[in-house]
Amino acid sequence: MDFGLLNDAFAELIGSGHSHYIFMGVLVGLTFGVIPGLGGTTALALLIPVTYTMDPVAAMYLAGGSMGATSFGGSMTAILLNTPGTPPNAATTFDGYPLTRQGKAGLAIGASATASALGGLIGLISLLLVIPLARSIIYLFGPPEFFLLTILCLLAIAVATLGKLLRGLIAAGFGLMAAFVGMDSVSGELRYAGDLDYLWDGIPLVPVLTGMFAISQMLHLALKGGSIVSDANRKTKLSGVLDGMKSVFRHWTHLLRGSAIGTVIGAIPGLGGVVASFFAYSSAAQTSRDPESFGKGNIIGVIAPEAANNAKDGASLLPAVAFGIPGSAESALLLSILVLHGIEPGPSILVESQREIYGLILAITLSAVGASIVGLACSRWLMLITYVKVEVLVPVVITVTLTAVYVLEGKFGDVIVCSIMGVIGYLMIRFDYPRLSFIIALVLGKTMEQAFHQSMIISDGDLVSYIAGRPTAVVLIFCIVLTLMLPAIRSYRGVRKKTI
Amino acid sequence: MIIKMKTIACTLLALTSLLTGAAHAEWPEDKAIKLVIPFGPGGFDAYARTLAPALEKILGAVVVPENVPGAGGRIGANTVYRARPDGYTIGLWSMPGMTMPAIVGERVRYDLNKLSWIAQLSFDKYALAVKADSPIRTFEDLCDLGRPATFSGQGGFTETASIATVITMAELGCPYKIVTGYQSSGQATLAVMRGDVDARVNPLGSLLPYIKSGDIRLLLTYEHETSVAGVPTIEELGHGEYINFGLRRVVAGPPGLPDHIRKRLSTAFIEAMQSPELKEWSGKTNNPFSPLDSEQTALAMQEVMRFYEQYGDLLRTEFKGN
Repeated sequence: MDFGLLNDAFAELIGSGHSHYIFMGVLVGLTFGVIPGLGGTTALALLIPVTYTMDPVAAMYLAGGSMGATSFGGSMTAILLNTPGTPPNAATTFDGYPLTRQGKAGLAIGASATASALGGLIGLISLLLVIPLARSIIYLFGPPEFFLLTILCLLAIAVATLGKLLRGLIAAGFGLMAAFVGMDSVSGELRYAGDLDYLWDGIPLVPVLTGMFAISQMLHLALKGGSIVSDANRKTKLSGVLDGMKSVFRHWTHLLRGSAIGTVIGAIPGLGGVVASFFAYSSAAQTSRDPESFGKGNIIGVIAPEAANNAKDGASLLPAVAFGIPGSAESALLLSILVLHGIEPGPSILVESQREIYGLILAITLSAVGASIVGLACSRWLMLITYVKVEVLVPVVITVTLTAVYVLEGKFGDVIVCSIMGVIGYLMIRFDYPRLSFIIALVLGKTMEQAFHQSMIISDGDLVSYIAGRPTAVVLIFCIVLTLMLPAIRSYRGVRKKTI
Repeated sequence: MIIKMKTIACTLLALTSLLTGAAHAEWPEDKAIKLVIPFGPGGFDAYARTLAPALEKILGAVVVPENVPGAGGRIGANTVYRARPDGYTIGLWSMPGMTMPAIVGERVRYDLNKLSWIAQLSFDKYALAVKADSPIRTFEDLCDLGRPATFSGQGGFTETASIATVITMAELGCPYKIVTGYQSSGQATLAVMRGDVDARVNPLGSLLPYIKSGDIRLLLTYEHETSVAGVPTIEELGHGEYINFGLRRVVAGPPGLPDHIRKRLSTAFIEAMQSPELKEWSGKTNNPFSPLDSEQTALAMQEVMRFYEQYGDLLRTEFKGN
């Protein structure tokens, strides 16, 4: 393990006089995190020209600083407004927002901040532990493993939609249909794209997610009236932040598990943060003794996804560090910053650009901690937003959100998609269909189909014997079977308990 | 007080508009030049963003690189093609990728014959790579596997590497299959190292670091004279015409770009590529320049279109199944 190198990186950070770039990164990251529609990739893309004249290590501080801070920024709005600031924060809304409505926003924010910071630290340690093994780990996951992983994640939908399985499956079905719009990257055929260039690459995730969570939530609030926190709950104390922080330590197993899930999913290219945090949430709910309490303000439902969300940032660098090949949109941008500074990312990037890479890793971790501290310091004032009358809140959030969605790629089509999804999302709230099932299916659909297609071509149609020869795939199949049997096992246990 | 502030603001506003009006200078000084990159981060992005500051210095204008990704480069292509030919919107074009939609009979909204070619930036020669410890030692081995050789592709028929794969393998009578759908050129190279597929055709420059690290081995290069010791060229295999294979990064503007603007831009790009800083960057990052001026580029592009058009039937069958 290279803790010595981390030490060097730390010494350089203090000695270089560039440490303020991390702090600037944190502020940029928090701002971009808080605004729905804008996220880590937008922040990085906008920072690229700024870093041009900087020292490469300082550029990494700024970029890493913003990357580590976005996820906590996004969790604030997820908790307070039921509107995830960045896609991976969607899972935090499930229990974070109910806590806010009960007047316990402080508890949720305290827990989220602590889980984010610790998740970032655990992510750092696991990244350092795993770097020497990075190549062998990445070699373990080929197309058939990707296919099985997506199946495993889709199964998690069934669990997250406790009590409304059928509605969850319907929403997921529509999500899969939406995922198949655009060019099939294996056959090259265009599907359901009409005559629109816009739909060539499929239905874009960020506008859909922003519409379905932010716009729909605003419509819901507008039609309901009043303010987010009911008058009865307003008399309860604003504090609870400290209790929230403590709760993370009380539920440390969930913190560790969430971080582990974040690390593993973060390291696998193509799955991304939404899946990581959602998977952490559903696994916490799945194995809980009291699954019914989830979705009604269980603090574990905030801790698990937030830990996963920050742990995944470090791990998502793994393919980039091991091969110089980016595994996520963020790491592609980070590597392109290095190229601009005359550093060619390649298999020896870790040796040749040690200063930059360790500086980056350090910045991501420190900013996760820094963002939490800044967030906690502002939490008292931020909570006041939930008392704002919806007549004021709704138009502001809708305007900011739609503008952000437009700024993202400068495509008006994104604004239209976002608005349509806002209405659909509202109808889903109104008729009680789980929106995240739709989103997860949309995220995973393309990877799932592609990996299946690739596996079929490679194995010449003989998928079964191909998979049987791959140990990782066999393990994944075992996990799938286990997940499918879990409800049965649980009800069997329940029945036995009752009879005794 | 408020009224006073308003008056000042209005006066200032009026003054600025007057000043800018008066300073309505000749191209390229009065507005920023938009340099469209039809892809996200990657090679094209790196070239554009590295060239932009050098161009600013030479032209004395503001140059803003802008990513307009999507549809395999077509959305960016349409953006440039539809722009006003005033010299304020130009873009990078991936060749021969952008010739493909028309060749395989897809609907396209741009006509390459009408574009105003400005300069060629690079011409990356291709090479055919296998995993370092693969039992496949030569190109003949790849043909005699007793099953189709598998190649990784980035997806979509606008990927130059897949086009080169199809033409090489089909014309040399070797059975092959392309496993497409990898998210980036890097991921497709990783697929070879991981053993998903047998081989990959990729720009030589981006393969070099992986040869050095001992992850992959080359079977052949698409060069006139090999630049990697001990690796045969496609010419030695008796197919000298394939040295045309490669990825060209070309700058072009919308149809009808006035001659003086086209020439000035062309000179600026050539000058930028010859500056010492950019030469240094190019050497350090394996991103070589192959500068061609506007006339040379126009001729080269006609040749590229003619070259790939002759494989039209083959490419249509492979990519569209008809």
